Amino acid sequence: MNAAVHQRTGQADAAEAFAGWLQGLGGNGDQNSAGGIDWLESEREQAAARVRTQLVPTNKSEGWRYTGLRKLIEQGFVNVDEPVTALTPDDIGEFLIPELDAHRVVLVNGRFSDALSSLGELPKGVRIGSLRDLLESDPASVKGVLTRIAGEGRHVFASLNTAAIDDGLVLQLDRGAIAERPIEVIHLSIGMDEPRVAQPRNLLSLGDGAQAQVIERYVSLGDALYCTNSVLEIALGRDAVLKHTRIQQESRNAFHITGLYLSQEANCRYAGTNIGLGGTWARTDLVTRFAGEHAECDLKGLYLAGDQQLIDYHMDVRHALPNCASRETFKGILYGKGRAVFDGLVYVARDAQKTDAEMSNRNLILSPNAEVDTKPQLEIYADDVKCSHGTTVGQIEPEMLFYLRSRGIAASLARRMLCLGFAGEIIDALGPESLRDYVAEQVGQRLEQAPLE
Amino acid sequence: MLSVKGLKASVGDEPILKGLDLEVKPGEVHAIMGPNGSGKSTFAHVLSGREGYEVTGGSAELDGEDLFELEPEERARLGLFLAFQYPVELPGVNNMYFLKAALNAIRKSRGEEELDAVSFMRLMKEKLKILHLDDSLLKRPVNFGFSGGEKKRNEIFQMALLEPKLAILDETDSGLDIDALRIVADGVNALRSPERSMIVVTHYQRLLDYIQPDHVHVLAKGRIIRSGGKELALELEEKGYGWIVEGEAA
Repeated sequence: MNAAVHQRTGQADAAEAFAGWLQGLGGNGDQNSAGGIDWLESEREQAAARVRTQLVPTNKSEGWRYTGLRKLIEQGFVNVDEPVTALTPDDIGEFLIPELDAHRVVLVNGRFSDALSSLGELPKGVRIGSLRDLLESDPASVKGVLTRIAGEGRHVFASLNTAAIDDGLVLQLDRGAIAERPIEVIHLSIGMDEPRVAQPRNLLSLGDGAQAQVIERYVSLGDALYCTNSVLEIALGRDAVLKHTRIQQESRNAFHITGLYLSQEANCRYAGTNIGLGGTWARTDLVTRFAGEHAECDLKGLYLAGDQQLIDYHMDVRHALPNCASRETFKGILYGKGRAVFDGLVYVARDAQKTDAEMSNRNLILSPNAEVDTKPQLEIYADDVKCSHGTTVGQIEPEMLFYLRSRGIAASLARRMLCLGFAGEIIDALGPESLRDYVAEQVGQRLEQAPLE
Repeated sequence: MLSVKGLKASVGDEPILKGLDLEVKPGEVHAIMGPNGSGKSTFAHVLSGREGYEVTGGSAELDGEDLFELEPEERARLGLFLAFQYPVELPGVNNMYFLKAALNAIRKSRGEEELDAVSFMRLMKEKLKILHLDDSLLKRPVNFGFSGGEKKRNEIFQMALLEPKLAILDETDSGLDIDALRIVADGVNALRSPERSMIVVTHYQRLLDYIQPDHVHVLAKGRIIRSGGKELALELEEKGYGWIVEGEAA
C-alpha cells in the first residue's frame, strides 16, 4: 500500500509541476509572436492542453527509468519573459572558437540577438533569421514545417516548448543552395534573479539538393542556474546534405533538454555529432523519420560526465521505408560520480527491406563511483536487413597508463591522452580542424582536472 | 649509477625476487640472463615502477635517489628507461604527439625548454634514421598495428630520443628475426656512451653477439647466482642453465 501511495504522489500533474514554464502563455495573444497566426495559436493551445493532461514522467515511465526529474522540478523554473539586450560582441569573445571561419548566429536566453550575430554575406538561397521576425513578416514560409516535424514530440518537454513557441533560429536553404562556410549557432544563457527556462524553437529546412554545415553550441556566462528546453525541427529535402555538430557546454548548474526531430526525404544525408560536456542534468532526444528511400542518418556522440552530472541521450530511429541506412556511434567517458544514459531504439518496419542499421555505444569508466546505463534496442520486423548493435563498458588498461608514465608523462596527462584516443573516432569526424582542436582541448582540459582514482 | 641491494619482491603472496644485488657503473652494459621464471622481467618491472609487484625488502638507488619512493614518471624523468618486452598498443594515441609529450616532460624536468616544432622534427628525423624507421610511423597510433619488429625498433627509437642515463632492455631480442635484431642492436650500440648504462635482460646469448656486455649475471630463483664477463654468456649458451642452477642448489 505504501508503494501505491508513493507511486500516486510520484505521478504528479505536469501542469502543476511546470506551471512556471507555462506562465504568461496563451490567452493574451499580444504577449508573443504567435499572436494572430491562427494555425500556430491552435498548435500552441493544443500543446498546452496536452501538458494539462500529461503526467510528469517517473522512473516507472518508459524512457525515464534512470533520469529522475525531481531535481529539475524543484528548481521552480519560470519562463524567460524579456530579452537580454545589454551584451556587446566583446562579451561573447570568450566563447568563440579560435580560427573558426563561420556565419555566426547568437541567441541569448532563447531570443535571437541581431546585435551579437555576425552573419556576414550569405550565399544565394540561404536565409538565416529569427523565428519571431519571420512569424511577423512571412509566417507562411514556416507553415507546414514548424510543429509538423516534431508533432506531439516524445514527452512533456516537447509539449512545453510548443506551447511556448516564441523565438529561435530559422535557417532556410532553397533548392540547390549551398552554404560552404559553416553556420555557427551560439545559444548563450545568462542567469537571471530567479531560475529561468528558455525554450528556443529552431527550424532548419534544406530544400532538395541543398547543403550546409551547422555548428550549434550551448554556452553560458558563469555558473548560472537556468534551464534550456530546446526543440529543433529539421527538414531535409531530396539529396540534401546536412552536417550538424552540437556541443552542449552549459554551465555546471544548468539543466538542458533538447528534442531534435528530423525528417529525411529520399537520398538525403544527415550527419550529426553530439558532444555532451556541460550541465548538471542533460537530456537529449534524437528522433528520425525517413520519408524517402536511400536516405542516410549518421548519429555520433561523445559524452563526458563527472561529479554532479547526468547526461542522457535517447535515440529513436524509425525505418518505415526500404533502403535507408542509420548509424549510431556513441562513446562516453565517466569519472567521479558522473552518470550517463544511452538509450538507442532502431525500429525496422516489415516493409523496410534492405535497411542497413548499426548501433554502438562504448563507455570508459574512470571511477568506481561513476555509472552508465546503456540500452541499445533493435526492433526488426523486416527479413532482409543488415542490422547490428554492440555495447561495451570498460576501464583504462593499467598497462597503457604505465607505458605512458614510464616515458615520463604525468598520470593525469597520460589519462587525458588515452581518453582522447578513445574519443578520437568521434572528434576526428567533426568538420573543420579548428573545431576538432577546440573540442579535443575542451574534453582534454576536463579530463586533466578530474580527480585521479 | 644503479645500486640494488638485497632486493626482495613478490607478486601476490609469491616471492619472486629473493635478495638481489647489483651494482652498475656509468657506461657499463650488464646482461642479466636466466631461465624462464627466474625473475628477470620482474626485476625490470620493479625498477621501472610497474603496478602489481610488492617490494618486500632491500633497496634500489639511481644516482643516490631511492627509486621506490618515486612514481614511474618520476623515475623516467630521473633518467630510467624501460624498453618493453611487449610494447603496449595505444589505439587513437598519435605516435608523434606521444613522443613530444614524453620528450617535453623529460626536458622540463631537466630544466630545459620545450622544443619548437621545427627542432622537434629535425631531432625525430635524425633518430629515426638510426633505427631505419620510416617517418610515416610518426603519424600512426603508438604501436598500433605495428609489426613485432617495428614495435621493438620503436622502443629503441624512444630511447634514442629520451636519452636516458640507465636503459633496461627487457627481452628486446624476443620475436625478432636476424635482420631486425641487427638493426635494433646497432641502434642500441649507437647509444652506448661513457655516461649511459644499460641492463640487457635476455634468455639467449644471441643478442649478446651484437651488444657486447661488460658483465654477465645469471639470475635464478630470484637471486643472482653467478656473475662474470662475456665468456659466461658463451658458456651458458653451450651448456644451458641446468648445470649452473643445479650446481647452486647442491
